[in-house]
Amino acid sequence: MLIRLTGGEVVDPVNGATAKRDVWIRDGLLVDAPKGATADETHDVSGCIVMAGAIDIHSHIGGGNVNTARLLLPEHHRAHLPRPANTPLSNAGWSTFQTGTLYAQMGFTTVVEPAMAPYAALHTHLELADIPIIDKATLAILGNDDFTLSLLRDSKSKAMLDDYVAWIIGSSRALGVKVINAGAAAAFKENVRSFSLDDIVPEYGVSSRKIVKSLQASVTRLGVPHPLHVHANNLGIAGSADTAAATIAATEGVPLHLAHLQFYGYGTEGKRKFSSEAARLAEAVNANPDVTIDIGQVMFGQTVTISSDVMRQFSAIGNASPKKTVILDGDGNGGGGIVPYRYKQDYYGSLQWAVGLELFLLITDPWRVYFTTDHPNGAPFTAYPELFELLMSSNARDAKSTELNATALGLTTLASVRREYTLEEIAIMTRAAPAKLLGLKDRGHLGAGAIADVAVYRKGRDIAKMFREAALVFKNGDLVVKNGKVTHYRWGKTLRLNPPPDKAMVKRMQAYHEERYGLSLDWFTFPDSAIQRPDPFAEVIS
Amino acid sequence: MSVAWIGSQPVPLTDAVRNAAKLLASSRCPVFTLDADVHGTRSAIALAERLGGAYDHAAGDVLAKEVALFTDHGGMFTTPGEARRRSSLIVIVGEIPAAHHELLQAWADSQPDLGDRHKRSLFHIGGIETTEAGRLARKLKAIPLRGEGLSLPAALGVLRAALQGQRIAASLSNIERFKKALATAQFPVFVFSGTSGDTAGLVMLQGLIADLNKTGRASSVFLPADDDAWGTALTSLWMTGFPPRTGFSNSLPSYDPGRWDIQRMIRDKEADLHVWMSTRGGETPPLGGKIPLISLSKTNAPTSGAKVTISVGKAGIDHDGVSYSSRTGTFRAVQAAQPSQLPSVSSIIGQLAEALPGKKALPC
Ligand SMILES: [Zn+2]
Repeated sequence: MLIRLTGGEVVDPVNGATAKRDVWIRDGLLVDAPKGATADETHDVSGCIVMAGAIDIHSHIGGGNVNTARLLLPEHHRAHLPRPANTPLSNAGWSTFQTGTLYAQMGFTTVVEPAMAPYAALHTHLELADIPIIDKATLAILGNDDFTLSLLRDSKSKAMLDDYVAWIIGSSRALGVKVINAGAAAAFKENVRSFSLDDIVPEYGVSSRKIVKSLQASVTRLGVPHPLHVHANNLGIAGSADTAAATIAATEGVPLHLAHLQFYGYGTEGKRKFSSEAARLAEAVNANPDVTIDIGQVMFGQTVTISSDVMRQFSAIGNASPKKTVILDGDGNGGGGIVPYRYKQDYYGSLQWAVGLELFLLITDPWRVYFTTDHPNGAPFTAYPELFELLMSSNARDAKSTELNATALGLTTLASVRREYTLEEIAIMTRAAPAKLLGLKDRGHLGAGAIADVAVYRKGRDIAKMFREAALVFKNGDLVVKNGKVTHYRWGKTLRLNPPPDKAMVKRMQAYHEERYGLSLDWFTFPDSAIQRPDPFAEVIS
Repeated sequence: MSVAWIGSQPVPLTDAVRNAAKLLASSRCPVFTLDADVHGTRSAIALAERLGGAYDHAAGDVLAKEVALFTDHGGMFTTPGEARRRSSLIVIVGEIPAAHHELLQAWADSQPDLGDRHKRSLFHIGGIETTEAGRLARKLKAIPLRGEGLSLPAALGVLRAALQGQRIAASLSNIERFKKALATAQFPVFVFSGTSGDTAGLVMLQGLIADLNKTGRASSVFLPADDDAWGTALTSLWMTGFPPRTGFSNSLPSYDPGRWDIQRMIRDKEADLHVWMSTRGGETPPLGGKIPLISLSKTNAPTSGAKVTISVGKAGIDHDGVSYSSRTGTFRAVQAAQPSQLPSVSSIIGQLAEALPGKKALPC
């Protein structure tokens, strides 16, 4: 099957300048224009922009905590069904089915669930397998579990830590590793209520910094393409910019990804002692090439916060709206908290909104800043089109700013920053850079040999509309979306690394689980066949 | 041995499937009583969506109570693994189903290796003593916390007030002993199930736990009244966004425990076809319905009153599958313990879907 997209403006910075050219797809892959061949199917895409399918590196789309949020908030889903389209929660992507549908309609073709608890990996993968159309991937959480902390306390060898990390990645079918408020979940079980980079986990005598540095080094030694994905300490609190700055300063030449930096962009200035430190953090990121970050942009309206940072979620219970929450002290790396929240256009909400945009606009290299709302923590992913508009139009930012709290915005640099993202920068930030960061050579661009994940947008004045309703979307060459609506359902794969397990480590794991949990290891692991779909996983060769 | 019947007549499986599909195709409002593993549940919900039906679990009454704790309130929870490793004080709340007694026994027989590492003690807050709960408490050497004539919610209320230092008329047995244990336990855990009490009682328990977390730590372990039912609830949540009781109208799911109470729908003749599952076998469909019944049951005889009976296996016994396990608090891949020829629910539902007019395969 040979498909030709003709007449479009191709935005593909990896392979050259933006230009009008044809894009050819043969049997699911992109190919160079074949000489003398006629296409089986031709799509006239004049007046459109053609990009690779977008990749979301951090969106909580499936697993135990996401499902608990559904359980806690059936009205969340019910309430938005009859609401007019375009309100933030009118299509929150609540079920697995809607998640795939809504992402595809915006031209997204690969999405990473960044917080998979290794012991509940089967649950996560069952959900991901039921998300249609798109490819998925996961990051396995480490750094709060007794096994890792004991290895660090007992100064065991680096090789042993590497074998354990590799075993976790393999057995949980992950693409990378994430650490969430390293050590805090373990400390919270011992009634510790605040936890910073140099605080010590009781029982283990290990600092948060030591956990992060050890895992960062291990991931690097193992050759995992995605650098350690770090959810730092002190999320959301005034003064957290210091923690973020210290974490950025601690990379020491080793790559590190800092998640949802917006939630750490706060200082203690102003009457309310809650101010923007975005400019300082942006400068720190600009100056340190080891670091990549994503934003976790806040958009206004009702959402629900879902995080494995159980200490932080517990401290947020008082702000829950509506007033119901779940706090789970999980096994090691599991657990977390579900706290529903409404971002209001008040002082705090306005400041958070502005901090996110400042970071987007002041970090100069689009290869190192990633487009996220930390779905659903800053906003549901369905708010992406409006966010694209804010990045690409300073007028749109000015217009929105007039509705917001002037005192808060006065403590930020936002009004003075006139930068507007170009389409090429959008393509880098949402396509090329995520593929590079995750080690996915087969996507993120439109060069020959890449898989045919293609998003076509109809150019127009309304930027949000353009990105909300892709004119055409191809996934592995299958036409799946036409005029902003899914026309064809298919099943994507979950991408994983699959390093071979070390035999001695497997033995160790067997003994550990039998002794500590009174259960054999097969209670915590599963065969691929448990997913009951043909080939649910695909290997990424690093 | 027969595996399929039309009425009481043994027939080839394909005939039974064709016949059942005819009933499904002509139904205006089919209702599904579920009893299967994750994959059986996935296929049944997908079929209910296609046909515009409603579904609930066979253990729907107690499941609805458990679901309501979350939809109304939420709470603080931990896993069985964490309780075993970290908790030196375990409080059993009310009646815990027999399926979990082995787990409770394992806790009684082991010691924490994390946290305060004190010798583990067990208490039982029982409400009015039933023989079943009392026998369990004695076997586990759990110290009773009980007040004359107090129901479980009332006993929990008294305990909560006592721990807040309020003066109250009623008192509980062994309360001083409990306070002493609580004072030295770093991570006390309350164990409950949907059988422990009504939703108000479970919410009261969570209030007590929230109080304890103001200055120290405490949590709860939720042991579902029926693991398979809880697995069905979780599966339903990701597939539709809702727990049971959920139904489809205009192919959109809606959650409404009153409207989609399928026993009520059968009684009130809102439903016109009942697909009844029992993979655990040895059960009969609930009485009271006069509408046609399709039985997917682990049986070697036709289900009495069913238009069509198809014998199915159970995941973890007859075939591999994925089930919720309260031993780990999440899903587990289960292997066939005694592999048999009995088909899985998901394979039968797949065949039913393909025998429907339109012949579309299910998405699950
Ligand atoms: Zn996140």
